[in-house]
Amino acid sequence: MKEITVAVAGQPNVGKTALFNLIVGQSVEVANWPGVTVEKREGFREHKSYRIRFIDLPGTYGLTATSIDQVIARNFIISGEADVILILVDSTIPERTMYLLLEVLELTSKVVVVFTKSDMTHSAGVHINYDLLEKKVGAPIVPISIKTPDSIGSLLDKIIEVHEREPSKQLIKVDYGELEPFIRSVEEVVRESSLANEFPARWLAVKLLEGDRDLESRLLKRGEIDLLKKVRSIQGEAEEILKLTMPEAIATKRFSKVIEVLQGALIIKGMPTRGRGEHLIALLYKPWIGPLISMLLVLALFTIVFTINTGFPLNVVLESIGLRNLASYIENYSLSHLVSRCFDYLSQVTSSILSDSILRSLIVDGIINGIGIVMTFLPLIATISIVLAMLEDSGLLPVIAASMHPFLRRMGFSGHMVFPIAVSFGCNVPGVIATRASPNFGERVRAWLTIAFIPCQARLIVVLAFATALRSLNGLVLMAFAYATALLVFMAVNKSLVIMYRRRRLYEEPELLLEIPPIHAPIPRVIWWITWNQIKHFLIKAATLIFLASLASWIMLHYTSSLTYTDDYSLSIGMSIASVISPLLTPLGFNEDLAKSIGFALIAGFFAKEAVLSTIAIIADEEVPAKALNILGVNDAQLVFLTIFTMLYVPCIATLVAVYSESKSFKITLSSVALMMVTAYAISMLAYTVATALMH
Amino acid sequence: MLNLADVPRGCKAKVVTVNAPGMWGMRLLQMGITPGAEIEVIENSSTGPILIRARGSLISMGRGIARRILVELISH
Ligand SMILES: Nc1nc2c(ncn2[C@@H]2O[C@H](COP(=O)(O)OP(=O)(O)O)[C@@H](O)[C@H]2O)c(=O)[nH]1
Repeated sequence: MKEITVAVAGQPNVGKTALFNLIVGQSVEVANWPGVTVEKREGFREHKSYRIRFIDLPGTYGLTATSIDQVIARNFIISGEADVILILVDSTIPERTMYLLLEVLELTSKVVVVFTKSDMTHSAGVHINYDLLEKKVGAPIVPISIKTPDSIGSLLDKIIEVHEREPSKQLIKVDYGELEPFIRSVEEVVRESSLANEFPARWLAVKLLEGDRDLESRLLKRGEIDLLKKVRSIQGEAEEILKLTMPEAIATKRFSKVIEVLQGALIIKGMPTRGRGEHLIALLYKPWIGPLISMLLVLALFTIVFTINTGFPLNVVLESIGLRNLASYIENYSLSHLVSRCFDYLSQVTSSILSDSILRSLIVDGIINGIGIVMTFLPLIATISIVLAMLEDSGLLPVIAASMHPFLRRMGFSGHMVFPIAVSFGCNVPGVIATRASPNFGERVRAWLTIAFIPCQARLIVVLAFATALRSLNGLVLMAFAYATALLVFMAVNKSLVIMYRRRRLYEEPELLLEIPPIHAPIPRVIWWITWNQIKHFLIKAATLIFLASLASWIMLHYTSSLTYTDDYSLSIGMSIASVISPLLTPLGFNEDLAKSIGFALIAGFFAKEAVLSTIAIIADEEVPAKALNILGVNDAQLVFLTIFTMLYVPCIATLVAVYSESKSFKITLSSVALMMVTAYAISMLAYTVATALMH
Repeated sequence: MLNLADVPRGCKAKVVTVNAPGMWGMRLLQMGITPGAEIEVIENSSTGPILIRARGSLISMGRGIARRILVELISH
């Protein structure tokens, strides 16, 4: 079967993800683009004796890249690797979104155009004469709506048609008016360049005149610096005469061409009306009220998600107003409890079947326990993805980001960070990955260093157990104190980083530039695609990692340093490591044995924060963590120390891996560990001192 | 001539020049904010980012960026 490679390109928000999923269905394969962590999604579809391979390119506004993702899209488009390029245009805002189409048509004629969201044109007051437009553009145009996707077949026909057709001459020629003489001079110059074998000379001339960094660096790499100097001098001359920068002059001409092409084929009836969506946008834009509503909305959504998954915080509220039964009911029927009960049952059955003790311990304590931890996270990840997908698809997210921007700026972040921070309250791992949304690199670095200070769910569980073990202090007060401390530390550390960077003149004010798409009810199909994609990702990446980590901690707990199996944890590898750090814990009044045990529990928490509890339970030989702490004789002030320390210390291993894979920098990854360890130790020591003083 | 951050809510303006540094400038041009383009300021509250409509789409931009865009008022 013959294969056709199709690159799918469009501006952000044009509806590319939706269309891509619609065309290729379940055949999606996810890989990474070479050298970067940007996802490369590919899918297949068979049609009329062809196997068509679709490659989803990151959204890009034009052919000059302005971010890492866009470099990928642009380089793939200009590389000529694709047989056909599918360009998406948003039929509700054709003027803006045809810019990319025009730029691609300047380079190649192997183009098929899709006008997306065709169901919405009517309500937007947009009327398009596609036949006329097709004639003027020269490439086939297919209007499609994902709500009534019946024209996919004709889209596939057009792709094959364009592929089989002889490459025609340039379909559209932009008239650059008073720039033309300069373009011709540059064209003369670049004909000498080796790049002229790969790209049309006129296209090269226009892009170089526009100041395309990537082409410039290609010239430099080939040692054609004299050529580049000539181009630059023509550029300077043109800017002086026309009193406009070249990027401005060229973009203006391209938009004039777009308007000329649309002339007669596009009618927009009436001014855009302020629908319900726009009133909501206006409300969220109000100073003070807007950020407040945004914050409450996000908080409410996450409260619901956590209550469904763990019972918290509704259970605590119910308990404090005396409804103990209802509280424990909600807790017992929360998703993660249900999942962990299944796994408890599974371990019981397995242990009764297996007789060999090492094998049983490995399978039950190591493997089933490990998979169990992964699976208890799954419902949480899934529900968080659904909520976030709804925020994203409805178009609310960018508005929330804009309304929180002034507040976040005070600690050196832009509105682009709202999403990563919000997700981090659930789990830091997706939070770290979500920092990609920001175009400010400095802001991303600071987020990688500090986002793990945001208390995730796993820490909540541990802290809850500590709070229950208290004898004379109030547990709820400790919890509130712990959360407040974590957030204050997050803000204070970021503020200090900003001051530090500013002193060294490395600070760039984080800026916001976001398109605000129309707000609408989320489309279930789209929500499912996004969620499914996330779950798959989690299962593959995090699962293997958490699984290996629990295997590792089982080995550390059950093997001696001479690698023989032992049932006595005090002889294990883990304990010998713990004895190295135990001196740090003796100032807190722990005796030597206890300091070792607690130290070991904290090391276990590095793999997954919940492991702090299970380790303490094993050491005290008592299942209920709160009782275990009392048996070990941990006093209230020490519990305060442990609570604050657990809140702040070292990100778990999964978060560290995420930080490394995003930053590709050992320095940043290790700095985040150092920053957290030092801060955690200092602040929890302080809390211990205050607590001791209070109790006397 | 004034900068976009100073255009009050509800006013329309025509872009004169865009001189935002580095990649921001290119991004603005690609989003249709080119010399000669008409912009409507939808929200502008002196503290937060401003909200504008350009070539049919809504765009939110930080004041730092808006200050780099010079415009002429068209009407009130
Ligand atoms: N009404 C309607 N909305 C659509 C259609 N295609 C996409 N959308 C919406 O447009 C927005 C952007 O879509 P998405 O696929 O995420 O765009 P991308 O950023 O280009 O990948 C989402 O809110 C979608 O729900 C369509 O055919 N009809």
